[in-house]
Amino acid sequence: MTTPRKNELSLKAASVCRRLACLPLMCLLLPACAGPATGTEGLPDGASSGALPAPVAVRKPTRIMSMMLCNDVLLLMMVPRDRIASITYLAHDAVEALLPGADTGVAINHGTAEEILLQKPDLILAGTDSAPMARKLAKAVGARVVEVGAANSFADIRRVVRQVGQAVGEPGQAHALLAEMDRKLAWLASHQPARPLRVVAWSGSQAVPGKGTLTNEIIAASGADNIAARLPDSRYGSFGLEELLAARPDAILQGETRWSGPSLQDAQSMHPLIERYWRGRRIGYPDAAYACGLPQSADAAIALRNLYRELPAGRPRW
Amino acid sequence: MVRLRQDPMPLMLALLLAAAGASLVIGKVWLPPVVLFDGLAAPKPNLAWLIVTELRIPRTVLALMVGATLGLGGAVLQGLLRNPLAEPGLLGVSGGAALGAVIAIYFGLAARFALATPLLGIAGALVAGALTFLFGRSGTLTLILAGSAVSGLAAAGLALALNFAPSPYAAYEITTWLLGSVAEKEWSQIALCTPFVLAGWLCLAATPRGLDALTLGEAQAESLGVNLNMLRVLALAGVALSVGAATAMAGAIGFVGLVAPHLVRPFVGYRPSRILLPSAVFGALLLLVTDIAIRVIPTSSELKLGVLTSLIGTPFFFWLVLRLRRMSP
Repeated sequence: MTTPRKNELSLKAASVCRRLACLPLMCLLLPACAGPATGTEGLPDGASSGALPAPVAVRKPTRIMSMMLCNDVLLLMMVPRDRIASITYLAHDAVEALLPGADTGVAINHGTAEEILLQKPDLILAGTDSAPMARKLAKAVGARVVEVGAANSFADIRRVVRQVGQAVGEPGQAHALLAEMDRKLAWLASHQPARPLRVVAWSGSQAVPGKGTLTNEIIAASGADNIAARLPDSRYGSFGLEELLAARPDAILQGETRWSGPSLQDAQSMHPLIERYWRGRRIGYPDAAYACGLPQSADAAIALRNLYRELPAGRPRW
Repeated sequence: MVRLRQDPMPLMLALLLAAAGASLVIGKVWLPPVVLFDGLAAPKPNLAWLIVTELRIPRTVLALMVGATLGLGGAVLQGLLRNPLAEPGLLGVSGGAALGAVIAIYFGLAARFALATPLLGIAGALVAGALTFLFGRSGTLTLILAGSAVSGLAAAGLALALNFAPSPYAAYEITTWLLGSVAEKEWSQIALCTPFVLAGWLCLAATPRGLDALTLGEAQAESLGVNLNMLRVLALAGVALSVGAATAMAGAIGFVGLVAPHLVRPFVGYRPSRILLPSAVFGALLLLVTDIAIRVIPTSSELKLGVLTSLIGTPFFFWLVLRLRRMSP
């Protein structure tokens, strides 16, 4: 198992890789983990039929370079390995959990300029941060650059998956993945719980996801109310223990980063008050499933829904 | 010439009591005092009781303890080093404590058992204090220089820990921890640190006579029978124990130790022995009021205590420089 070279981690990559890191856990929770493994195989038949325009006979890119973790996973789901020039060095752990073995033999990049020149891709899937640099060098190697933004909602996921599908010349794959996701979302919507639970994704008071975050979106899809969504227009706000006590949520979702060493946050989220009053009401969710907006985000919502059933009845009592 | 004014202690103690009361009432969650009192009288546990006893009282106690420690440490060091810019961090003790605590976070000890952070913090402070003393025991100037060197070493260690942080998130946490906070600490952590803080205070309480004699100069103080080496050991051990434990609990909180002695000096006179207690009380008051301000200032992400004290403290630094320039010929 390769660990990313630590000194190369920038804080910007932090939020993404920290969360994607615990994909192993996600695999336990997500039924669709063993989903589409590599390339075009493994997708449900007929999923790509329907209202989709007939695939245009464009020349498909054959040396695709991904410079963002979320794109790595999408790419491995849609395109055969031999058409991938490289994926990011951060991807291995995530892929190992989501699509085991899918990245075997696929080269990696560290998002550097030199690698673009060396690997000579014909298509670069860049993130918002890496796009400017990629564009500068793209001319030199004759590559097309597609900038893929972050997906913070299911609407974003649809847009991003379609965009990547179009870019890599596999719109049918994208359509199939989205159809599967929408089927799951529809099932969730048609089986709403009678009383929506009040939950919060709280792992220490420093950054609690509120409105506009993928976490909020997944919680909503799971049929619960995210009590941190009332935070005014800030995606991640502080939500102190006092506020937590006052709000008295039915369950506390605690992000688990199993990828690397533990951190102070783990200690903080074990404040005696939490231990005492939310015993059995702490749902450990894989941070990873909430970091990248992927078709699998629907599975994360289903996993949450299943975990709600194990909660004790009523609200925490004191 | 010492300006004799009315003793400020009664006023400061009254303010301190008022602030402590306010600290129990004011929080991110607004509970009207009536509700609070009802809650304390009602069958326990209930929301008001939990918030007050498990969150606000520990927070208040910690703010008072840390503030007093910093104020006292600053006053003693300014007297010992006869330097108006001396503060508890100067001897490398805060840096050592921070490094120790960060090591606990870095290696995941903090997650495995909650007391690892304060324990290693205290150990770090003691090691740093010992190093400073080992290299700087021969005189005031060497003590300051050795302190700077140890601070530099600790800062390098911190940077190294950030550089090799086990996960990017740990790096983030180390950074936020360093910003300083007294919020949401457990009683057990406070209980662990209190003996060290008290031991430190005891050491510092033994210094006033020596500090007074020292205002005449080192040679004169020695001729008056003051054991300078003993004085340095007491001051350093006191600061290492108390400030180290305080930093291990609350993170690095700057400027309180520098500001508090200066602000009380005009009221109590310039004799070091008379500044110690008022400075400690004022430090406690300052930190508590700042911590209350943090809860009142509406920010979506919590403003950290150390950040606010630095923001308030820096203008004071400028004022101090201007004042020194005016006073010097």
